[in-house]
Amino acid sequence: MTINVGIIGFGKMGKLHLRVCRYMKDAKVVAVADPSPRALRAAQKEGVRALYDDYHDLLRGPDVDAVIITLPNFMHLEATLAAVTAGKHVFVEKPLAMTSADCERIDDAAGRQDVKLMVGHNYRFFDATRKLKAGYDSGAIGDVVLSTFELVHGPLAPSLESAPVPEWYFEREKVGMWLLDLGYHVVDLFRWLFGEAEVVYTRLDNHYGFPYEDNAIVVLQSQAGPKGVLHVGYFAKLVFPAFDFRVILHGTAGCLSTDQFVPRSLRLHAAKEGIANMLRRMTARRIKPLSYTYFYSSYVEEQRHFFDCLRNGKEPAVGARDAFGTIRLIEDVYRCRDGVQSVPAMAS
Amino acid sequence: MGTTVSVTRTSAFDEGGIRDAVFRALDLIGFEPPGPVETVAIKPNLRFYWDYSTGETTDPRVVASVVDYVRERWNARARIAVVEADASAMRTRHAFPMLHFDRLAAEKQIELVNLSDGETCEREVTVGRRKFTFPLPRLLFDTDLFINCPKFKVGPYASGNALHITCSLKNLFGCIAKPRKVGWHPQINEVIVGLSKLIPPHLNVVDGIVALGQRPVRLGLVLAGVDPVAVDSVVARIMRYRPSSVKQIRLAQKEGVGSSHNITVVGEDVKAMSKLFPSRSPLAFKLAWTGQLSMLRLYAKLSGDAVPPLLD
Repeated sequence: MTINVGIIGFGKMGKLHLRVCRYMKDAKVVAVADPSPRALRAAQKEGVRALYDDYHDLLRGPDVDAVIITLPNFMHLEATLAAVTAGKHVFVEKPLAMTSADCERIDDAAGRQDVKLMVGHNYRFFDATRKLKAGYDSGAIGDVVLSTFELVHGPLAPSLESAPVPEWYFEREKVGMWLLDLGYHVVDLFRWLFGEAEVVYTRLDNHYGFPYEDNAIVVLQSQAGPKGVLHVGYFAKLVFPAFDFRVILHGTAGCLSTDQFVPRSLRLHAAKEGIANMLRRMTARRIKPLSYTYFYSSYVEEQRHFFDCLRNGKEPAVGARDAFGTIRLIEDVYRCRDGVQSVPAMAS
Repeated sequence: MGTTVSVTRTSAFDEGGIRDAVFRALDLIGFEPPGPVETVAIKPNLRFYWDYSTGETTDPRVVASVVDYVRERWNARARIAVVEADASAMRTRHAFPMLHFDRLAAEKQIELVNLSDGETCEREVTVGRRKFTFPLPRLLFDTDLFINCPKFKVGPYASGNALHITCSLKNLFGCIAKPRKVGWHPQINEVIVGLSKLIPPHLNVVDGIVALGQRPVRLGLVLAGVDPVAVDSVVARIMRYRPSSVKQIRLAQKEGVGSSHNITVVGEDVKAMSKLFPSRSPLAFKLAWTGQLSMLRLYAKLSGDAVPPLLD
C-alpha cells in the first residue's frame, strides 16, 4: 500500500524531502502546502498536483496519510499539533518545538492519537556517526572519558540559486535559542551516545554582529560518566561539499573519530559513488540516492526509517520524548550562561 | 599623460597599521578633491555575510581610515555615508550590522545607506554595441566625493564568466539599486564598464589587507588611485595576470574609462608583492565550475538521482 505524503513548508528543506521521498518504496508526495505562490509553483514544477496555501486544507484531505513538516522553527509546534490532531503520521524537522514544555504538549497529543511521530535528527543517520556509535557500543575503545563534538557551518553562505537567507533567520524569537538550530545536532549526538547529561560550562559569543550568538563552547557531563566539549559555530565560509563536522571519542582502550569514516576527499567520493550509481542504473539495480553527496544521504536514511516504521507499526528511533530531552538540555545550556561571560554551572 | 597608483603595505594588521597604510597610500597619489567636500559616499565591497578575514569583503578598518583621512585632510565636518545595495543573496540591512559597519558608523558618526532603499534614476549607457539601462541611486550623482573601496580579490564565477579579478571596476556592480542583479551576470564585463562610465568614482582605495586568491592571504596591502582601470591593472599584475588579458580592463580602456598604460606605481615593488599572492588560473577555475555543474546535471539525468536544492 502506498503511503501518501503531504509536505508542509516548501523551502529548501521541503524540496529536499520531496526529492528524497521519490526513492522511498511505497511512499509518494501527493500534496504540498506553503503560503508562498513561488514555493507552490516550485512544487508544481516538481510534479506535485495538490497544492495548498494553507496547511490546514492539506490536513483536511483524506488522501494524505503522513506529513513532512519543514516549516521555520517557530511554526513547528502549531503545525505538528494540527497534523497529529488530524490523525496524520508526522515527520517534523528539528527542532520539534521551541521549548521542552511545547515538546511535552506534542508528545501528549501524539500519545492520544494513534499516529507515529518522528523528529528529523539526521546526524544520527550519517554513515560516520552510526559507525562511530557501533564502535563505541561494541566496547572497542573501552570507557569513554573525554569526547569532542565539533560542528561549524555557515548558514549565511549562499546556495547556488542566489536567494537571500530567509528573513525569519534573523529574528531570534523565530529561530529560538540559537543552539536549537545548528548546535542542536551535537547536543543530540552527545545524548544519543552517552544518555542524559548535565551542563558543566557554557560560553556563548558573537564573532559577527549576528542578532544572536554565532559560536559556542559547551561542556557536558553525562550521568554515565563521559564528558564532552562541544564546539559549535555559524561563522565559516564553507562552500559545498566542504563540511566541518567531527566527533572524537577518547576511551580507556582507544580513540574513535568520525574522521576515520568520512571519505578523505568528498569530491573523489562523489565521483566514485556517481560512477557506482550509473553502473547500478545500467544493470537495472536500485541506485543509492544522494550517496554521492555523502552528508545528504542521511536524509534518505532517516526517511527510509520513518516509512519503515509506518509500514511495520514500529516506533521511530527519534520521537517527541527524545526531542524533549535534547531541547531540555539546550535550555540548561542557556540557563548556565550570563551574557557572553563564562559561567561554571556546577559547584565543585 | 600617465596616472599614479600607490601601493603601501603594513605588517601590523591592527587599526594603527591599517590606518598608516591607508594614509600613506592616499598621500602618495596626492589626490585633491574636485571641489568643496561637504558630502562623501564610500562604497565598500560586501559579499553575502562573510567578513574581511575571508578575503571577500572590505575591512571596516580600511573604511574607517578613509573616513579619518577625509576629515583630517579635507573637511572635518563632511557628511559621510557608507553605501551598499542589496544583492540577490545579501540584504544590506543585515550585512551592515553583521560585518560590524554599524559599530563603525557609531564610532565615526557616519551614515549607513542602503542604496536599494533610496531615490533612484534610470540611466542608459552604451558599451560597444550593447545598450544598458540601470536603476542607479540618486545619492551617487549628488555626492561631492565618491570613494570606491573595493576588495583585492579574484573574481567569482558569474553565469559562465569566470572573472580574473574583482576590484575597482567590479565593485560598482554593487551600486545598481535593484537587488536581483543575476540577470546582468552574462554580460558582467560590459555591465561594469558601463557603470564606470555612468558613476565614475573620484577615488579608489583598495583593501588588500587580506586579499583573496586561491585562498585568503594576509598581504597587508592598500592601493590608491584615481583611475579605476589603472588601479585594477596594478592589482592584476600583483595577481600575476597581464592587464591586457583581463577582459574588464581591456574593455574599460577601449571605452575610454581609463588606461592601463603609462602608470606610475609609487610605494611597494609590484613584482615582489606578486610573489606573495596565491594566484589562481581563471581557466582552471572556470573549468572546475562548469565541469562540476555539467557533470552533476548529466549524472542526474543518466542515473535518475536527485540533486540537493542547494545545488539547483
